[in-house]
Amino acid sequence: MKATYQNFIDQRIIKAREFFIFVAEIFELFFNTLKYTFSGPFYFSRLMEQITQLGFGSVSLTIVIGLTMGLVMTLNFGYGLTKFGGTLYVPAVVSLSLAREMAPLFTSLLVAGRVGSGIAAEIGAMNVTQQVDAIRALGTSPIRVLVVPRFWALVISLPLLSALSFAVGIIGGMIVCRAEFDILPGFYLFKVFSTVKFHDYMSGIVKSAVFAGIITIIACYKGLKTRDGTKGVGISTTWVVVTASILILVTDFFISKIFLVIWH
Amino acid sequence: MSETILELKNIHKSFGTNSIHRGINLTLKKGESLGLLGGSGTGKSVLLRSIIGLERIDQGEILFHGERFDHLKETLLTPYRIKISYSFQSGALFDSVNVFENIAYPLFEHTRFSYQQIKDKVAEMLKLIDLPGREHVMPSDLSGGMQKRVGMARAMILNPEVVLYDEPTAGLDPANTLNVIALMQRFKNQGLASIFVTHDIPSALSLCDRIVVLHEGKIIFNDTPEKFEKSDDPIVNKFNLSSKD
Repeated sequence: MKATYQNFIDQRIIKAREFFIFVAEIFELFFNTLKYTFSGPFYFSRLMEQITQLGFGSVSLTIVIGLTMGLVMTLNFGYGLTKFGGTLYVPAVVSLSLAREMAPLFTSLLVAGRVGSGIAAEIGAMNVTQQVDAIRALGTSPIRVLVVPRFWALVISLPLLSALSFAVGIIGGMIVCRAEFDILPGFYLFKVFSTVKFHDYMSGIVKSAVFAGIITIIACYKGLKTRDGTKGVGISTTWVVVTASILILVTDFFISKIFLVIWH
Repeated sequence: MSETILELKNIHKSFGTNSIHRGINLTLKKGESLGLLGGSGTGKSVLLRSIIGLERIDQGEILFHGERFDHLKETLLTPYRIKISYSFQSGALFDSVNVFENIAYPLFEHTRFSYQQIKDKVAEMLKLIDLPGREHVMPSDLSGGMQKRVGMARAMILNPEVVLYDEPTAGLDPANTLNVIALMQRFKNQGLASIFVTHDIPSALSLCDRIVVLHEGKIIFNDTPEKFEKSDDPIVNKFNLSSKD
C-alpha cells in the first residue's frame, strides 16, 4: 500500500517536472524568437511568403466565420431583446461583442486549427526527415529560418484577419437587422460606430496578436520536438490544435480582465 | 607527417541507460579518408552527429585544428559547421525548394557572393555531380541516388576541410553506388578529408586510407585497408567475409 502511494507521488513529481520543463522550453523558444528577430539577418522574403500562406490563405475561412457570427448573433440577440422592447440595442450589443470578443476569439480558434496544425505538420515532417538537422548542420538556426518568419507573419496577419472578421460580422448583422427587425442600415451603422470605442478595437487587435504568438510558438515548438515518423507528425498536429485552443481561451479571460481594468 | 585536423579524445555517449560510446579516440589527418565500419546500432552515425554537434557527448573532447569545440553553445558552432560538413544518409534535402535553392542555401547564409556568382557556383557544382542543368528540379522528382549527390553537393559548396558521409551508398543500386563513390573520389582528390560511415566494405576498402571498426562502444581496429583484409581478429574477419560474399 505504502509502495503504491509512493509510486503515485513519484509519478506526480515526474509529471510536474515535465510540465515545468515544457513551460520553460516554450518561454525559451519565445525569447529566442525575439532575440533572433533583432540580431543577425532577417528573412524578409520568407516573412512575405508566410504572410501569403498563413494570412491570405485564411481570408476565405475568416469571411465565413465573420459572416456566420454576425448573422447568428444578431438573430439571437434580436429575438431575445425584442421581448423586452430592446430591439434598438441590437446593433450596439452585436458590435461590442464582435469587436471585443467574438471576432478575435473565433477567428483565432479557427486559425489555430488551420495554421497551427499546418505549421506543426510542416516543421514536424522536416524534423523527422532530418531537414531540421540539415539546417543546423549547415551552420544556421532552425529558429531563425523556420520560427521567426512564421511568428511575425501570424502576429501581423491575425489582427488583420480579426478586423476583417469584425467588418464582415457587422455586415451580416446589418443584413439581419434590415430583414428581420426593420432597422435601417444607416441607423445600424450609426449605432455601431457610436458604440464601439477605440479601446474596444484595440482590445480585439491586441488579443489577436497575443493569440497569434501563442499559436505559432506552440506549433513550432511541437514541430521541432516531433519524433517517430509520420505517426509523430499526426500526434503533434492534434496536440497543437488542442493546446493552442485551450491556451487561447484561458488567455482571453486574462486579457479581457486587463483591458477592463485599464479602460474602465 | 601530415597535420591532424580532427581529433576525438575519450568520447563517451549514452542514451538513457544505453551506453553507445565508451571511450573513443580517433584522429583524422589532412586529406585522409577514414572508413568507419561496425554492426547496426554500434553508434557510427551517432559519432558523426556528435562531431558536428547534432548530438552532445557526455564526456571527452572534440578538437578541430587543436581547438576544442564540443562544449560550445549552438550559435558558436557555426564556424566549425562551415569547415566540417555533413552529408546525410537520406540527403535531407529541403523538399519545399528546388535543387538550386538547396545547393545555394549555405552560400546565401554564409557568404556575400552576388546572385550571379552563386548561380555560377551552383551550376559548376551540378556539373561536378553529373547533374548539369537540373537547378529547377524539385527534390521529389529526383531518384534516391541523385538526391544523395545533391545532398553531397550542398555539403561541399562552402569548400569544407572535412566531410562526414553517413552511409552515402545505402539503398542504392550498383550503378548509383559507383556514381556516388566516383564523386567521393573526386572530392578526395581535391584534398578533402573525410569520415565515411558505411556497411559497403568494398567501397570503403577502395576509397579509404584507413579503416576503423567500432564494436560495443569501442574501436577494435584502426589501420590500413591492407591490414584490415589480413586481420586475424574474429570480429574484423566477419566484416571481411561479408565483403567477399
